Formats: sequence, structure tokens, C-alpha cells
Amino acid sequence: MAIINQASKELQVKIVYYGPAMGGKTTNLVKVHDHVQTAQGNKGKLVSLATSSDRTLFFDFLPIEAVAIKGFKTKFQLYTVPGQVIYNTTRQLVLRGVDGIVFVADSQYEKMEENVKSFQNLEENLRALNLNLADIPYVLQYNKRDLPNAAPMEYLEFLLNNRDVQVPSFSASASRCEGVFETLNMITRLLLHKFINESQRKVA
Amino acid sequence: MPTLPQLIEDDIREINNALYGLLLKSEAGTGLVIDKGGFVITRVGDVDSFDLTTLAALCAASYAATESLASLVGETTFSSVYQQGDRHSLLVLNVDRFCLLALVFKASISVGAVKYFAVDAARQIARHMEAAQQRSPDQGFDLSELNLADASEVFRKRTA
Repeated sequence: MAIINQASKELQVKIVYYGPAMGGKTTNLVKVHDHVQTAQGNKGKLVSLATSSDRTLFFDFLPIEAVAIKGFKTKFQLYTVPGQVIYNTTRQLVLRGVDGIVFVADSQYEKMEENVKSFQNLEENLRALNLNLADIPYVLQYNKRDLPNAAPMEYLEFLLNNRDVQVPSFSASASRCEGVFETLNMITRLLLHKFINESQRKVA
Repeated sequence: MPTLPQLIEDDIREINNALYGLLLKSEAGTGLVIDKGGFVITRVGDVDSFDLTTLAALCAASYAATESLASLVGETTFSSVYQQGDRHSLLVLNVDRFCLLALVFKASISVGAVKYFAVDAARQIARHMEAAQQRSPDQGFDLSELNLADASEVFRKRTA
């Protein structure tokens, strides 16, 4: 869960990028790391615990400080999970203390089953941590839109965003850094709204 | 999922005092209290030689992974992880449901001595956490100074 330090006016938030293997989660973090505009020293090192073939083994981690929030120094910690099925326990560990989720779906037609299974797996893993997806801000990113075999957005929406409450979704081509910042800013916005609403509810 | 209690300046001061005492007795160089989700709650000692944000995230992950490993081989109690280095070693101890104590110390220092003092400090910190929890179990956060109008573009893509 987020840590809010009133003494130093500091807010720390954990965002996890979740989704099927090879969907572009790590690419999202790499692009944020490469292209984010920060004051000097506000961008941390991108840590990747990966296999020799660059597949995520445990997680990728990018600490980053926001530039535009007045009053609070806001530190975001971005994590990815390993997408491969065998690493489910690892995914549960990374989800501990999560504040917001970006689900990175692979737009290619042949990846639809994996997308749906990964989304179900996310819900199961949250339940194992006594969390409910409905209570956690999350957004969907339909990645790899630049590929010729990408399924229509409407189809992805039907498969992954067909619930009582629809969440914001973005088309992206993470390898070209398209849609990466739009996605990150939206989950950030949802998170900040949630914190403020909770704060006001508790005060009321 | 347990939630960290609301900590005020007095709590942080007390926890820091416990950490300072621990560093003095054990000769460890850096002490951190971290949330099990990987956030730094407070840190004392040599805080400039290491990237403590990343260290905290990896300590939490390493502790959680090793705890799971221990559970897989039938261990029911688990309380610490130790990494022995050539120059610096690292000890991560459980404090309570919410947080961990991480210590970085020179490899020449005996881990036994560090652990002996660290267990006491961890208990002390756990007592402060418990007191904070009991003081205000439903404490709200004051985020009134946060300017949401500016939050639409929190992260900006650098222009070439």
C-alpha cells in the first residue's frame, strides 16, 4: 500500500505492470526510463532481474519521482511481473502492497487466449492476497498496435473491458514509445483521485 | 493485506533512535526500516553510499521470495535473510506484519553479533509500530495540498 509521510510531505506509490508473457511490460518501463522528463536525480536506475535471454525472472523495477505535483514529493515505484505461467508465485510476491495496476495486453490475434488467462490470473492472485480488483485502480493498455495481425480495439475491449465498470484503455506501441506515457499518467491520476477520496471519506 | 499504521514525527524519531542504537552496538553502517511492499520508511547511518530505494525494493522481494522457498520445504517459521559479501554484507530481519529491518555492514563484522543486537532493535521497532497502530487505527491522510489539476500530466515525455 502507499506510504504517505506527512512529516516530509512525501507520497510513495507502487504500480505493477501485469500481463501475458512477451506482451511489452518491460518495454513500457524501459521507455519510461529512457524518455521521462525529470529534474536531475529524480529518475532511479532501472533494475531488471532477468534471465540471460532478457526474459523477466523476478521483476523489473523503476523508481521515479513525479515532476508536477505541488505540495507532495511523489515517488512512484514501477514494477513488472514475469509473464510466463511458471512464475505465478513470483507474480504474487510482486503484487504485495500494490496500489495501481497497468494490464498490458498483446493485441495480436493469436495472443487473445493468453490475454484472458493472464487477466484471470491477476484476479486470482489478488484474491490470494485478500484484495479485490474492483477496489484497485487499474487501466488497460492494448500494446503492439503497430503489428499487422493486431485485433481490432473493439474486440480487445469486449474481451478484457466488458465489466460493470469500464476502465480507461489505451492503444499503444511500446517499442515506439506510443501510448506509454498516456497509460502511466492515467493510472497515476486514478491513484491520486483514490487517495484523495479515501482521505475525504475518513475525515468526513 | 495488512496496512502500515499512520506514523508521525515522534514515531520516526523513536524508530530512528532504535536504529542509531543498533548501529552503535553492532557497528553496522546503514540501517533501514522498510515496508514489506518495498518502500523505505526510514533510514539512518551511511545513506549516501548505496541506492537505498532500490536496495529496499530488492530486500523486500528477496525476503518474500526466500520466505516462500522456506515454506515450500516445510519451514513454518522464518525471520531473516542474510547475504554474505566480500566487502559488505546484508541482513534483513522481520519486524512485524508490515515491515522489515535491513542492515548493511562491513563483511569483516560477524553476522552473529549484528543479528544478536538487531533482534532486540526489531522488537523495539515492532513495539513502536504497535503503539502507532493503537493510537489511531482509522487515521485519515490529509492530501488537501495535492493539486489534482496538475496531475493529468504527472509524467512528461522528454522532447528531443
